[in-house]
This record gives sequence, C-alpha cells and structure tokens, in this order.
Amino acid sequence: MSRNASLALAIGIMLAAGYAVFAAKGWQWKAALFPLAIGIPLFCLAAVEVLWTFADKKAPEEPAQKGVALPWAWMLAFLAIIVLLGFPVAVALFVLVYLKLQAKESWLFSIVFTAAIWAAFYGLFDLLLHLPFPAGWLLEWLGLA
Amino acid sequence: MLEALWEGLLLVLQWKAFGFMLLGVGLGFWVGLLPGLGGATTLALMLPFIYTMQPVEAFAFLLGMHAVVATTGDITSVLFGVPGEATSAATVVDGYAMTKKGEAGRALGAALASSLVGAIVGAVALAAAIPIVRPLVLTFGSPELFMLAIVGLAFIASLSAQGTRGMLRGFLAGGLGLLLATVGQDPQAGVARFTFDTLYLWQGLDLVPVLVGIFAIPEIIDLFVRGNSIGGNAPPGNVAKGAWEGVKDTYRHFWLTIRCSLIGTFIGVMPGLGGSVAQWMAYGHAVQSAKTPEEREQFGRGDVRGVLGPGAANNSKEGGSLIPTIAFGVPGSTAMAILLGGFLLLGLVPGPDMLTKHLAVTYSMVWTIVLANVITVAVCFLFLDRMASVTEVKGHRLIPAILVLVFIGSYTSNSHYGDLLVTLVFGGVGYLMVRAGWPRSPFVLGLVLGKIAENYLYISVARYEAAWLTRPVVLVLIAVAVAVILYPFFQAYRSRSRV
Repeated sequence: MSRNASLALAIGIMLAAGYAVFAAKGWQWKAALFPLAIGIPLFCLAAVEVLWTFADKKAPEEPAQKGVALPWAWMLAFLAIIVLLGFPVAVALFVLVYLKLQAKESWLFSIVFTAAIWAAFYGLFDLLLHLPFPAGWLLEWLGLA
Repeated sequence: MLEALWEGLLLVLQWKAFGFMLLGVGLGFWVGLLPGLGGATTLALMLPFIYTMQPVEAFAFLLGMHAVVATTGDITSVLFGVPGEATSAATVVDGYAMTKKGEAGRALGAALASSLVGAIVGAVALAAAIPIVRPLVLTFGSPELFMLAIVGLAFIASLSAQGTRGMLRGFLAGGLGLLLATVGQDPQAGVARFTFDTLYLWQGLDLVPVLVGIFAIPEIIDLFVRGNSIGGNAPPGNVAKGAWEGVKDTYRHFWLTIRCSLIGTFIGVMPGLGGSVAQWMAYGHAVQSAKTPEEREQFGRGDVRGVLGPGAANNSKEGGSLIPTIAFGVPGSTAMAILLGGFLLLGLVPGPDMLTKHLAVTYSMVWTIVLANVITVAVCFLFLDRMASVTEVKGHRLIPAILVLVFIGSYTSNSHYGDLLVTLVFGGVGYLMVRAGWPRSPFVLGLVLGKIAENYLYISVARYEAAWLTRPVVLVLIAVAVAVILYPFFQAYRSRSRV
C-alpha cells in the first residue's frame, strides 16, 4: 500500500472538507445544514489520518508503479479527439492508432478490429438507440459537420 | 388469491405477452451488459412504445426488460471490472478479483445463480407482502429513513476495511461521497453549492460517470501496466465446471443468499433508497458473515460471498420496489417512477384497484420477473464459455474496446463532455484509493445516499427539531449503527482471546 497515495487522499479530503465548511458558512441554514454536518467531522477525521500517516514512519512505502503515465496519456488523447472530432470519428481513429502504435498489431487485425468496434458502436448507439453524438468542435468550426 | 396467481401466469404465457417479454428480455440483456446505459433510461426510451399494448403485454415487455438488467450488469462487472449498471458496482469488488485469479467461470456462475435466487425471493415477497406491507411503510418517516441511510453507511464503512485504521479510511471515503453528493443546486433553498459557476455542476455529479471512473479506470491502468490478459497468468480452468462451482457456492451459502435477497427486498420497499444502496448493504452483510478477521481479509481479494450478496440483492430489490409502486403509487426507485408513468399511460391507477380488480395483472408482474430471470440465466449459462474466454484475450486488444465502452457509457448518462472529464477525475481518485488500499465501496454508498440523506435530515430537523432523535425506531437504528461500528472490535477481541 502506498503511503504517499494515502497522504494525498487524506490531504485532498481535508482541503475539500475545509472549503465546504468555509463556503457553507455564507449560505442559508437549509442549504448549509448537511455540508456542515458532514464537512466538520470529515475535516477532523482527515486530519487524524494525516497525523497518523506522519506518525507511522514504520509503514513500508510501496515502490511507485512504473509506466502509469502512458495509459493516462492515451485516455487524455482519446478525450481530446472526442471533443475535437466527435464520437464517430474519434472511436475509429483511437482504436486504430492504439492497436497499431501501442499494441503493435498487424494492419489487417487493426483494421478488422476497428471496423468491428465501430460497426457495433454505430449500429447500437446511433441506428438502434438514436443517441445524440455531436460532431466535435473542430469539425463544426471547419463547417464539415 | 391462488386463482389470481394462476390466472397471472396464464396471462404472461399468452403468445403475444410472452413474445413481448422475450423482446424486453433481449433488450434488457444488452442494456445490462453496456456500462452507463441504465435500466431506467431504457425504460424511459421504451415507454412510448407501450401505447398500443394491453396492460399485461406492456408490463411483460417493460418488466421483462428491467428485471434482467441487473443480472447481465453483473457479467460486465465480473469480466471487465466495469460496472454494467450503477446497481452492479458492488459485484466488481470481489467478482473482478476472482476473474483476475482465473475464476471467472465460478464468479459468473455465482452471480447468475444468486441473481436468480434473488429475483425469485423478490417476486415471492411481492406476491406475499402486498396485504401486510402498508403498516411497515407507514411506520418509516423521514427521521427513520435518514437513520436507515446512516446505518447503511456505518455498515459498509466499518466492514469494508481492516482494523481501526481501515475503519477510519472507510468513514473518510464515505464522508467524501456524502460531501460530493451536495454538489449542485440545493433542493431546499436553491443555492448553487460547489458549482464553481459551471452550469454542468448545477444538477450535481451524476452517478454513472463517477462509478465508471472510480471502478473502471484503475483496472484499465492495471491491465495496461501488467501487459497481459485480465486473467493474468492464472490458469483459465474449465469455465463450465467453474460456473457449476459458482452455482454450488450459492447453495453452500444458501442462507446468506436468502438473507441478502431479503435485504434487497426490504431496501426496495423503502421509497427513495433504491438498488444502488441495496447491493452495498448486502455486500456489507456478506462481509459481516466472515467469522474471523483473517476470513474477512479475503473480501476484496476474490471471496465468492462478495459476489453472492450483491448479486442476490440486486435482483430481489425489483420485487420489493414494485410493492409500494403497485400498492400505494409510491415509486421505490427512478425505474419504478418511470414504470408508474406506464401505469398511467395504460389507464391503470396504482392502489386498491391493483389488489382487487386487477389482481391478475399484478400477479402477471410477479411471473414476469421470475420467467425473465430464468430465461436470462439459462441463456447466459449456454454462452458462458464464450463470455469468459474474453478474459484470456490480450490486454492491449481489450483496452481500446473497454475504453470506448467507458467513454460512451459515461457520455450517454447526460450527453455532455463534462461527464468524460468527471470519469477521468474520479478515475484518478479511484487509482489513488487502490494504491493506498482505501475501500471504494463506502465512497460510492456515500455518493448514492447523500442526496436522500440530506433531504430526510432537512425534513426531520425542520419538522421535529432535535426531537426526531428521540423517536423509538430512530433510537433502535442509532443502536444498530453503534453496534455495527463496534462489531469488528468485538470480533477482533474475541479472536484474540481464543488465541
């Protein structure tokens, strides 16, 4: 178990609870009741956890997991192309590029797998369920949507 | 009454009603498998199609669809660690851990068999409870419902991690969930709380993007870093045999399955609490069934009881939530509120008429829940080998497909890009929680219960001031919450004194 991760969570909760209590002070009691009822004990518990972590120096620190940045980069890239190009284009582009560059699959497999996933996405969510997927900011800006 | 029960069965077995039920089951099967696309959303999407149907056909279609969503939602939870439904999140904790140990077949078998038991218990409860449920529901006012929510949170926070430190972290996670539930426009005073001037946050944090992020993203990162299949290097084993083992587990822990089914039914009956609460309460109860702290440590690492409890409660809650919907027109959940819309579209008025004039229609609903689940479980067992073989596919081939599901699943909940950002942010929180060994279940329960608890607390304080704390049922529930918190200490003390 990672001591640093635990500390980050506890400090994050402390800050969030502290902010919640601070913000709630300016609201009507109806709106402030619950955030105060939760925020004050939560702040205290988080402070206990932080102090406990600092005091407990014997706890072994688990080595940091390697290669974590790369999956985050892929996910952020996927998010960016969804926003810019819209789901229909982004799904096909992301799957194909991921299979070729990251998974190092053959062209044939990558194209067939991408086509299958895109067909499932389009058939199910667009044709069958008629869910609205906007075209993406870039395509709209270029007038291609 | 028996005559009406028999008549209800015959009504469902009419070819047209049965055909609509199969259609509903088919739709529900896929909706359950797909993360994010919830049963309630699909019910709402299908509501316009029932205009031309007879009541029995319409309910066979709608309930057939809704009754199996939780069953197949468990499959996605077990195989990919992505909750197929918000109500299947608890199954991820031990179900996916079993898959990683190469026990996907056993986990699926246990999830399916317990789902079937749960559905039957829920349906039986619906059939039996209608005449006696009215006084029970009326006993619970806002103070009692608030305390019930607190008991649920105490249950899961104290039981999902080990020792005093684990309990502290459980309460921190639960408290964070409760606090985040306050994001958005406050229902009482209309104050925009913690919205940072963004319109997206006015309606609060939607459960689906948060759930998908907190459970699926850490698993995707883990799969990416490990670089092998979901099953890892664990031997795949014989899936069919494993599934049979899962079925036997259901009967090995039969009373646990029944108790969790009853918990699900009870939570289902309580208006406003819903299936997301039922599964975690049942999970908490399953953890509590461990006799020693060592045994309890296995939960979260692939204990089959952690699959059986939520699996049973998930399905039994449907029968439970139908009880107040049919008897009093008080929907027990969002899905039931939509179903209530179906009643009105068909010209049926929930209440005494449903228990007298339309009793056969009411019983046809009971049969629909049972038949739909029997059919689904049978179909799932037929294709179990193919489903479980997905866990042996190379991780790098699965990751893009899972990511597409994750992103579409979160986006479809509100059709807003903000959902995707929320998924990634809570993916980060989930990843930190996994690394730090913090339990994720109290966080989810806190988030689910937050709005409900706030509403009940506000009504309690506004109506009774501090006197709500002295109501008899509230006092009993406070005692239960304290007992639940102290129980792990008592258990640890007892096992120490045995040594």
